[in-house]
Amino acid sequence: MDSEQPAIDVKNLTVSYGPVPALLDISLKIDAGQLVGIIGPNGSGKSTLIKSLLGFVKADFGEVQLFGEDVEKAKGRVAYVPQRGSVDWDFPITVREVALMGRYGKQPWWSEMSAEDHDIADYALEQVRMADLRDRQIGQLSGGQQQRVFMARAIAQGGDILLLDEPFAGVDAATERAILDVLESTREAGRTLVVVHHDLATAAEYFDALVLLKQRLFAYGAPEHVLHPELLSEVYEGKLRIFANLQSGQAAGGGV
Amino acid sequence: MYDWLVEIHTASPHLIKALLTGLLVTTVCSVIGCFIVLKRTSFLADALAHSMLAGVVVGYLVMKLTFGQEAHAPAMLIGSIISGIITVAMIGFVSRMSRVKEDAVIGIMYTGIFAFGGVLVSLFSQYVHIDLLHFIVGQLLGVSDADLWMMAIVSVVVLSFIVLMFRSLQLITFDRVMAASLGMNVLVLDYMLTTCTAMVVVTGVQVVGVIQVVGLLIAPAATAYLLCDRLKNLLWVSALFGWTGFLIGYYLSETLNVAPGAMIVVTLTAQFLLVFLVAPRYGLLADFQRRMRAVPQQFVEDILGVILRADQERCGIEDLIRHTDYKAERIRKAVHSMVKQEWLVYVGDVISFTEEGRKHARRLLRAHRLWETYLQHLGVADEELHQRAHVLEHLHDEQAVDYLDDKLGHPLTDPHGAEIPEDFEHLVPGEVMTLAILRDGHRGEIVKVGSLIVESISPGDRVAVGVREDDSQTWVVTVTNAAGKESKYRFNHQEADAISIRLD
Repeated sequence: MDSEQPAIDVKNLTVSYGPVPALLDISLKIDAGQLVGIIGPNGSGKSTLIKSLLGFVKADFGEVQLFGEDVEKAKGRVAYVPQRGSVDWDFPITVREVALMGRYGKQPWWSEMSAEDHDIADYALEQVRMADLRDRQIGQLSGGQQQRVFMARAIAQGGDILLLDEPFAGVDAATERAILDVLESTREAGRTLVVVHHDLATAAEYFDALVLLKQRLFAYGAPEHVLHPELLSEVYEGKLRIFANLQSGQAAGGGV
Repeated sequence: MYDWLVEIHTASPHLIKALLTGLLVTTVCSVIGCFIVLKRTSFLADALAHSMLAGVVVGYLVMKLTFGQEAHAPAMLIGSIISGIITVAMIGFVSRMSRVKEDAVIGIMYTGIFAFGGVLVSLFSQYVHIDLLHFIVGQLLGVSDADLWMMAIVSVVVLSFIVLMFRSLQLITFDRVMAASLGMNVLVLDYMLTTCTAMVVVTGVQVVGVIQVVGLLIAPAATAYLLCDRLKNLLWVSALFGWTGFLIGYYLSETLNVAPGAMIVVTLTAQFLLVFLVAPRYGLLADFQRRMRAVPQQFVEDILGVILRADQERCGIEDLIRHTDYKAERIRKAVHSMVKQEWLVYVGDVISFTEEGRKHARRLLRAHRLWETYLQHLGVADEELHQRAHVLEHLHDEQAVDYLDDKLGHPLTDPHGAEIPEDFEHLVPGEVMTLAILRDGHRGEIVKVGSLIVESISPGDRVAVGVREDDSQTWVVTVTNAAGKESKYRFNHQEADAISIRLD
């Protein structure tokens, strides 16, 4: 890994779906080993930013570089955990098969997955405590368990950058703990993490830095600077209950 | 059936050819159909089938006019693949670039291209000898040797594509974003799959015709989808249903002397409905059985409520029957399932709680009494309180109840004077909470003091909560500071909210 290059370097990124811009002129750099949260109201382009970092959506303008390389060429270095709502839970696939997908990039398409790949996938499932349910179809799991399966897939892939789209949405306490553990150990391994998050109450506690987004980049930096009441009320347009909670410090349990 | 099989051995090459054609075609159709079902593109497949007409006519015309060859099968195949791809590309392009949604775009494009094919047929009717009727209902019995060869080649190409690219196809169907991030060319793979579908559709049209070909693609795959939890199994089982559907349908068409294409599709659909009825996990009967076995949430909660209000939290089955509106049989069943769930203990004729069961019951009672208090605030008549709260208590998720509790100023008793159980979800020793939810007798250490508080208390001070005053609207606490000095303070609700305490 090249330590001088930032892990993620976004320059003037603009993305639009039809006539509506999803992201407007976003520029930001994230250093390797950081745990960064992306916050912003619904429809603010958080998931689009994640998809740009994955090279899935094409930029109208601007570019995304990962470790100094164009995102198109850095493929496989980025692992990701999709939003729960975007997964087809009826798909005929088992827990173990999902975890094994993390290894798909490691083998050329014509050859079989190796025994090592299977071991790595199984080990990843053990880490998120899902090994017992490995032969279940993914629709037969609880919400938290589903989230953990995709965490295992990302662990098995082991990219330098890990992107997570709302991993904490609607999960039980045990899963939240498990996810935080994985985030922590992943960061300790020197990887870079970018997490879409929507609970402002826990944002400061979980992340090194925050990105505040609503089409444009409103703020990027240490949580205490980004979670500024005036800034937030501008971006969130008067959902004031949240800010009252933040200020009086009784944030625990007060979701958005 | 046996006679029929014997007849195959002894008799016409016609029949053997039809069987061979059918089995080949149903295999590829069923297998590729799995991806169509999973990608939810059945309508697109229908569009592909119809658009084929234009391609067939153009292919026919080109060969006829330039080389003078009639009904050149490969040219017609290539023509239909090209027209299929053009249709899909146009649908993709237009739905991306306009606000018209994809289903409408598909409708416009495929009817347009199909109709264009029809116009060509009429326009060049002296050159083109395509029987539109066969095109629409299929001609299993009129398959030529060239057609059969073409089908064999298509089958080999498509099946090897699926076997070789299995992982890629699985990934782009399941998670396109990840596929792209691994460097797979999602768009190219999509078009390869579309090309395969177009080729398969061309073969399918020979058997059942353009209108019914979607059934041949989708029905076996959808049937298998009700049974399989792995993609590999899905492909196998789908092919199996394709074969059985074809063989049974074809046999029936021979015995009943009806059009084979129609009979095959009817059989495929009947197969689907049958499996839909009896599938062990995703079938209608299984679902019905699950419903019958399940005990409704409300029912469970009512039983918990009766036991909690009973003398010493113990009661017999008769008490439950007397205090609820449910039938004795259902109550017995519910109690049985709650014992299994380890919420209740049923020894002799006495039913009592487990620790877990009591916790659920108390949560419910808390919700019930808070709702009563809230309804009284709203001005609901006293005699209606219980009944209405009884309905509302089933809304007892933590956030809703905590919100009510806070709105009402953390009341201690309900309108009937009964104690509201404390907020035991949050009152866990060692946890930090606001003073407002604490009650007489709680002790702890101050962690945080909001700016609202003018009294001289600071983090680290010890706190003992006393009996509330002023109709329980004033919190009374005794604070011992670091120097050991004791003082008594009174706070209103807002102030009590501003003080965080770690409970001993």
